[in-house]
Amino acid sequence: MVESFTPAGCGSRRRRRLALALFTGGAVAAAAALGALLGALGSLLPDGRTALLLVAGLALLAALREAGLVRLPLPQLRRQVPDRWRAELPLPAWSSLYGAGLGAGVFTYQPVATFWVACAGAVALGRPLVAAGCFALYGVGRAAMVVLPSRGDAAGGAERLARHALSVRRLNAAALTGLAALLLLVPAGGAEATTLQLGAGRQLDPSVSNGILAYTQRTGTARSVVVRPSDPVVFEDAESPALDGARVAYADAEGIRVVDWTTGEELARAPGQLRAPALQWPFLAFLVEDARGKRIVLSNLETGEFAPVASVGRLGMLGRPVIAAGRIAWHAGDARSSRIVVMELESRQRRVVASTRIGALTHPALSATHVAWVDSRSGRSRLMLRPLDGAAPVRTLVDVRARGTALWTTALWGRSAWVARWQQPTGRVQLQRVGF
Amino acid sequence: MLPDVDRAADGLARGLASRMTRRSALGRLGTWMLALTGGAAVAAAARPEEAQGFHFCGHIWTTGSCPAPFPMPRIDARGFPIRPADGKPIDNLGRLVDGNGFPVDERGRRLLDPDGRPLERAPRSRICEDWVPEQFGIDAVTQGVWYRCCNRQIRKLVDCCSRHRTRINGDAALKGYCYTGRYVFCVMYYETGVPC
Repeated sequence: MVESFTPAGCGSRRRRRLALALFTGGAVAAAAALGALLGALGSLLPDGRTALLLVAGLALLAALREAGLVRLPLPQLRRQVPDRWRAELPLPAWSSLYGAGLGAGVFTYQPVATFWVACAGAVALGRPLVAAGCFALYGVGRAAMVVLPSRGDAAGGAERLARHALSVRRLNAAALTGLAALLLLVPAGGAEATTLQLGAGRQLDPSVSNGILAYTQRTGTARSVVVRPSDPVVFEDAESPALDGARVAYADAEGIRVVDWTTGEELARAPGQLRAPALQWPFLAFLVEDARGKRIVLSNLETGEFAPVASVGRLGMLGRPVIAAGRIAWHAGDARSSRIVVMELESRQRRVVASTRIGALTHPALSATHVAWVDSRSGRSRLMLRPLDGAAPVRTLVDVRARGTALWTTALWGRSAWVARWQQPTGRVQLQRVGF
Repeated sequence: MLPDVDRAADGLARGLASRMTRRSALGRLGTWMLALTGGAAVAAAARPEEAQGFHFCGHIWTTGSCPAPFPMPRIDARGFPIRPADGKPIDNLGRLVDGNGFPVDERGRRLLDPDGRPLERAPRSRICEDWVPEQFGIDAVTQGVWYRCCNRQIRKLVDCCSRHRTRINGDAALKGYCYTGRYVFCVMYYETGVPC
C-alpha cells in the first residue's frame, strides 16, 4: 500500500501530496472515531476503578508478551487495504479510505499488543472526547509512517523499522510495565483528590464562586469564615459560608448575614436561630430547626418574600441547602430512605436526582451543569457526581473505604469539586479538591 | 556394609521412626498447615464484627451471607440489622443507634458532627426486603428457616428468597427452604437467646 503514495503511483507530486493529506485525514478521523466510540462505551461503566485495574492487568500481560515471556495470540484481521481501490476509485476516495482502514486499527495486522491495551484504556477512561484525542495520535502515527520517510521511500522506512523490531518490543514491554505500575497507583475513584493546605485546625463547608474558595475554619472552639482570594478575608464567630461572587452569606450568633466580602459592607440580615445558608442573589435559603422539626426556607432579599420549600419532623433528615444557576438542592430522608432533591427556583418543579434505602445521601453541591453529593455506606464514603441533564451516568469522584473516615460538606465550580474529609477518631477535617 | 551416605540415611530414618509414627508425622504436618491457614481465621475471630461471614455457625451449605452493615448478617426479629458481636441495633452505616434511630456511642450519647451538632439519623433497612432488592435489583422475601444450637443458644438461620435463579455467590441458586417458586439468594441469622 505504501508504494501507492509516490509520484509514480499518484500521477504527480501534487497528487501525491494530496493523497498523503487525505490519507492522514482518514487515518486521524478513523482513529479518533474509534477512540470516541470506546470512550462512550466506557462512560456507561459503573465502576471506573475496576476498569482501570483491568487495564493494568492487561498492560502487564501485554508487557510479558512483548518481552517474549508468554505466548499470546492477538485478536487481529491480517488484512491489507484493497489494492484494487486504487484502480477503481478516484484518488480522494482511495487515499482517504486507505487512511481510515489503517487508522481504525482493527482491520489490519497488529505487530504489538499495545493497541489493544490502548483500547481498554479508552474504555476505562470513559471520556469520549479525550479518548478521541488520544487515538487521533495513533492515526497520526500511522500516517507518519507514510508521510515522513525521505524521498517517498515509505516501504524502505518500514523495512528499516522492522530491522529494529527486537528493540521496539523491549521498549514496548518497558512502557507497558510502566503504564501498569502507574494505573495500579491511581487512587480509588479514578481521580486524584488533592488535600488543600489551609493551615492548622479544621476546614469544612466549602463554597466556591468565580474560582474563589470560602470555608468554615474551626480552631479549638473558635470558628470563622475564611474567604480565600490571594489575601484571605476572615469573618470571626461565623460559619457555613455561601459564596456568590463578591457576596457571602454566613451564619453567626444572630442569624444569617450577607456581606460584600470585598468591602465588608453588610447587604442583608436574617435574624433568628437560622443556619446553613445558601446564596444566589437575590435568593437566600437557610435551615430552621425547632421543636417541631426542620425546614428549609427560601427568601428573596429584594422583595422580602419567603416560604418553606421543604420540611421534616423531628426525626427526619434535612440538610444544608445549596443554590446555583437558578436551582436549589438539599438532602432529605427518614428511617427508610435518603435522597437528594433539586428544585427549579422559577417553576418550583422538584425532582429526586438520587435516592437509596440502604445508604445515606447528604450534602449536595450544585453547579450550572452538575450535582454532587456524599454517598455514605457502612465503612465507605463516596463523593458522587452526575450531570443535571442526566446525559451521563453517576460517577464516583472520591472513594474512601475506611471506618472512621467520612466525607462531609461539598462544593462544585466548573470542572472541580471540593469535599471535606473528616477523620472521626481525631476530629480532623480537611478540604480536598478533585477535578472531573 | 552400607556406604556412608546410606548409613546416614538409615540413621536418619531410624531416628525419625523412634520419634514419630507416620500418623503423628502427618499430624504434625497438618498442624503446621492449619497454623498457616488458620492464623487468618484466628485473627478474624479476634475481630468478630469484621470476620468474613461466608460461613457461620449453623450454616452448613454454600450460599453466601446477605449484604449487611457488617460482614456477619445478624438480624433482629423483624429483619433489621444488628451488631453481630452484641445484638445492639445499628443503622445502615453500621453505627449504634438509639430508640429514635439517632447514632450514638457505646455509652448511648448522641454522636456529634464536625460542627458539634448531633448527627442526623441514617436509614435503617431490612436486610432481605430492602437491602437485597436495591443492591441487586431483584425481589426478595424472608422465607425458609432452620435452627441450630450455636454458642449455647438457639440460632435461627433464615433464607432470603427470590425468584431470581442466581444466588449472591453468582452461581445457580438452590431451593433450600424457600417456597412458592423461590430460591435461596442469601442467608442471615437471628439469635433467639433460648438456651440449648
